[in-house]
Amino acid sequence: MTSTSTRDLVSQPYKYGFVTDIETDKIAKGLSEEVVRLISSKKNEPEFLLNFRLKAYRHWLKLREPNWAELGYNEINYQDIVYYAAPKQQDKKKSLDEVDPKLLETFEKLGIPLSEQKRLSNVAVDAVFDSVSIATTYKEKLAEHGVVFCSFSEAVVEHPELIEKYLGSVVPSNDNYFAALNSAVFSDGSFVFIPKGVECPMELSTYFRINSGDTGQFERTLIVAEEGASVSYLEGCTAPMFDTNQLHAAVVELVVLDDASIKYSTVQNWYAGDENGIGGIYNFVTKRGQCRGVRSRISWTQVETGSAITWKYPSCVLQGADSVGEFYSVALTNNRQQADTGTKMVHIGPRTRSTIVSKGISAGQSSNSYRGLVQVGPNAKGARNYSQCDSMLIGDQAAANTYPYIRSQQPQSAIEHEASTCRMSEDQLFYLQSRGIGFEEAVSMMVSGFCRDVFNQLPMEFAAEADKLLALKLEGSVG
Amino acid sequence: MAMTEAWLTQLPDPTGALEPVQRRGRLALTEQGFPSRRQESWRLTDLKRLEALFQLSLANDSSHVSIPDSWPTVPEQALRLVVNNTNDPLAGFDLPEGISILEGVELEQALGHTLSRCQCASEWPVELNHGVNQQILALRIRGKVPPIELVTFATDAMFMPTRVLLLVEEKAELEVLQVVIAKGHAAHSHLLEIHLGQESKVQHGLLALGEGKESLLANMAIEQEVRSHYSMVAVSHGWSFGRLEPNVVQVGGQASSSIHGLSVTAADQQFAVHSTMRFEGPEGTLDQVQKTVAADRSHSIFNGAIQVPRQAQRTNASQLSRSLLLSGRARVDAKPELQIVADDVRCTHGATVSQLQEDQLFYLRSRGITESSAASLLLRGYCKEVLDLLPLDAASRWLDGALPEGETNP
Amino acid sequence: MIRPDAELLLEINDLHASVEDKPILNGVTLHLKAGEIHAVMGRNGSGKSTLSKVLAGHPAYRVTSGSVRYLGRDLLELEPEERSRLGIFLGFQYPIEIPGVSNLEFLRVSTNARRQNKGQGELDTFDFDDHVRERLQVVQMDPAFLERSVNEGFSGGEKKRNEILQMALLDPVVAILDETDSGLDIDALRIVAGGVNQLASPDNCTLLITHYQRLLDEIIPDYVHVMAAGRILRTGGSELALELEKTGYDWVDQQLAAEGVG
Ligand SMILES: Nc1ncnc2c1ncn2[C@@H]1O[C@H](COP(=O)(O)OP(=O)(O)O)[C@@H](O)[C@H]1O
Ligand SMILES: [Mg+2]
Repeated sequence: MTSTSTRDLVSQPYKYGFVTDIETDKIAKGLSEEVVRLISSKKNEPEFLLNFRLKAYRHWLKLREPNWAELGYNEINYQDIVYYAAPKQQDKKKSLDEVDPKLLETFEKLGIPLSEQKRLSNVAVDAVFDSVSIATTYKEKLAEHGVVFCSFSEAVVEHPELIEKYLGSVVPSNDNYFAALNSAVFSDGSFVFIPKGVECPMELSTYFRINSGDTGQFERTLIVAEEGASVSYLEGCTAPMFDTNQLHAAVVELVVLDDASIKYSTVQNWYAGDENGIGGIYNFVTKRGQCRGVRSRISWTQVETGSAITWKYPSCVLQGADSVGEFYSVALTNNRQQADTGTKMVHIGPRTRSTIVSKGISAGQSSNSYRGLVQVGPNAKGARNYSQCDSMLIGDQAAANTYPYIRSQQPQSAIEHEASTCRMSEDQLFYLQSRGIGFEEAVSMMVSGFCRDVFNQLPMEFAAEADKLLALKLEGSVG
Repeated sequence: MAMTEAWLTQLPDPTGALEPVQRRGRLALTEQGFPSRRQESWRLTDLKRLEALFQLSLANDSSHVSIPDSWPTVPEQALRLVVNNTNDPLAGFDLPEGISILEGVELEQALGHTLSRCQCASEWPVELNHGVNQQILALRIRGKVPPIELVTFATDAMFMPTRVLLLVEEKAELEVLQVVIAKGHAAHSHLLEIHLGQESKVQHGLLALGEGKESLLANMAIEQEVRSHYSMVAVSHGWSFGRLEPNVVQVGGQASSSIHGLSVTAADQQFAVHSTMRFEGPEGTLDQVQKTVAADRSHSIFNGAIQVPRQAQRTNASQLSRSLLLSGRARVDAKPELQIVADDVRCTHGATVSQLQEDQLFYLRSRGITESSAASLLLRGYCKEVLDLLPLDAASRWLDGALPEGETNP
Repeated sequence: MIRPDAELLLEINDLHASVEDKPILNGVTLHLKAGEIHAVMGRNGSGKSTLSKVLAGHPAYRVTSGSVRYLGRDLLELEPEERSRLGIFLGFQYPIEIPGVSNLEFLRVSTNARRQNKGQGELDTFDFDDHVRERLQVVQMDPAFLERSVNEGFSGGEKKRNEILQMALLDPVVAILDETDSGLDIDALRIVAGGVNQLASPDNCTLLITHYQRLLDEIIPDYVHVMAAGRILRTGGSELALELEKTGYDWVDQQLAAEGVG
């Protein structure tokens, strides 16, 4: 594993980098109060939502872009972004047949067939293209169970009371710079509501696709699980290759009541830029869940492989007594990618428990940081946390940083943290090779072994997918 | 801020060997301004207590710092030097072979060198010491020398700045214990530089004892050349406000560092340890264990950075932070920072925050030991692991083997 | 040694206990008289260690009903340290490591607590030193272990010897030994068993918790009890242990099933 050979090798071309040629309805570049109003009116939104946006926008103007994350990037010109773009085929599509075949084709190419015949069994998909949701499968079947799964825009029209009640209740519109921006201009996303006592009969999944070169994507996801309800949700993302950077600033809010649980998985594979760091998505995301009820549970699983820059800390606010928060993460960076990711576990209620397992793999000249906070408040008697953060470095140009922050005000609590950083063991590699396993395969076996604890948390259909994705991303990065 | 300047202006004019340093320090303090909680390293600091330092008067010739009779004797052959801001600690001493005074050009060259190598020369507490301190104890160490005990003592609401520089030559061996004592609301500002030459070996202890109302600012810069061995054991107890900043840099490879710390807080005390370990050469090792005990309403902070840049291949570093919270109103903040760029390294890090182990308590109780004695036995055991590592038999000479009881009882 | 007129030392009646609201003991009844050696056997998870911890007063276990009387008094209302001073001894299945606390000091403090209770004077450090060195021979332990921290870095076998050393020092009335034989090689087992035999007298009693016949080859029990699902399912003489060695525990399931438990 000499450093020269590492540097010489290029990683696998990004296979989702194509652009769909489709007519879009775009508004002009730039951000102003008018733009916020325009987005709202294009979506026929009720008054409360417009007010929500305006309040967020006014607050955003007062905020300064954060610079504390371990990231270096070109300044973002917020006036050079298109805040709304939608494929022209407007109006509600009553059935999939009415969806532009080009779009269906796009998603099919991405491995997400939407049509009746081909769609995945047992996974309902909401497909979001640039700023809007174009189709949601299995809606009727889910409705039979009382489960609402639809695009955010639809939810605003059909369930305004739920939106008004929960929107911004976990991530307030003034939470941070990018959350405020999202709250002002978000275009679409998914809404999930699982009523009392219902165990969602299938996996739910949203697939995000950025297509236009100059659009930002600001989607909003809200999932509510009422008492005793449970759901497993997965999001996936890709974008074409452009040599400019695009901004993706999403907000995800989860609300979990008594005895309910949400499992939220992400496989993030936005375009990461080329090997020289040109282009790629800036992925600045706020994800937070609130365990409001007793014995409630939130589990975040993420596989982060894409984006030029990722800035993301899916968090759990553990309010209800005996509630449980989990965070399982694999973040892989290569070339010039930068990832700053981790979680916050805020223990408020008694006997709340949390587990953090984070695996960072840095290759090329990339930088991969884990940043976490475990906070145990004065009322969280009997709270427990266990964290484990491991980093693996491949090549001598990559950086791994670990910032596990612990704060406790409760003596009857136990916080344990373990971290390690090491390189892929030559002995182990040699052992595998001496048993006839090829070098690249041995590396990918080791990487997938390293990530096993996290992959085990993914819904079955996607675990194998994630494994392959990682192998693909690393191909040629070791030598 | 205005207060800093007012305080600075009433200081005596810069004099002595450190005159230029004092001038620069005062200027830097004025330029930097008072620390703010917006700065990451001061974010959790109770700045009111830092400000309160400016109400103290600088120790000067007329301050009577009489040495209490209660001080234990030094072990045979060891050399005790009393360091303060005014007297020459070496007055009346014949220095043993191997220890000599660093003066003139040599001192000029060495002064501040290690601070810069550790990248901490312009930290606020360092500039504060620069600005006010008039004395320095600067020694060159050659070969194997007798152990040295450096005692610093402040009382009567005085502000006591002290500075020590140790130039440890190639293959030299030194055992040095610093005892920093304060009573009566006094404050210490201490600045230490140790340069370890190739293959030298230093065992360094710090025993910092307040009585509950005192303040301590201590910055220690350690520079290690190839194949040197450095070990620090720092124990602090009884500081109303404390900030201890060990900065160790291995400039050559194959050096070993070990840092063991214990800070015990009670009442409404706040004590922070900010350590930085930087490897600039290959094959260095670090073994770091930081323990804290926080009782009552006290607040204990640990910030531990480890930096492994590209040239530091085959570094092997481990850091463990263990905190005991003894009361529902105490607070612990632990913030390790691992920054690693080299690929062929092993860095492990662990942190735990807990109360006394229920199983250990039960085991002792099942052998007839009462709950409160079991708790204090466990606590003593927890502290003893660090205390016993202090050089020059410090724990038994200065503490009768254990930290004062009562303060640390749950 | 069974004597009909022997004094009843420990009387456990219909004891129920739970941990974290999960019932573990479901009605244990056991009577231990002076001079007797009882063995409790049973599968992993049957509740043997729980019984021993409840008797020693571990705070994590809650007694929900039933009673335990010890020399005529209510054992359950005593603190763990009071029980120890009155002569209840628990040899832990997993002895706890306590870094920084010297083994010697620990042994001295606990021995003196018990001695005081018996009306014997406390031993000063010198007398205790002699005393402990003499007792070390019971388990043939290296005096070097006295200088180390309690159980820290001891091997499995060394920890168990340290337990028996404590028993030898505390001179208990009721000694409960939880899997004292596990993790011992055959020589160590002999030494430990020899120690237990040496300490057994007509005035005290022993409750051996074990998995294996091999310990019972060395220490012959007067009674063998089989525990399952938190109860004593069967009681017999030392031959019961031999029978178990041959037939295993499968009959336990059948009996539990027949009774509608498990
Ligand atoms: N502290 C505890 N917390 C939770 N469960 C426990 C605890 N102690 C024992 N148990 C449970 O009680 C049952 C009996 O355990 P134990 O008494 O250790 O069995 P044995 O010693 O016979 O193997 C097991 O199911 C075990 O998991
Ligand atoms: Mg057991």
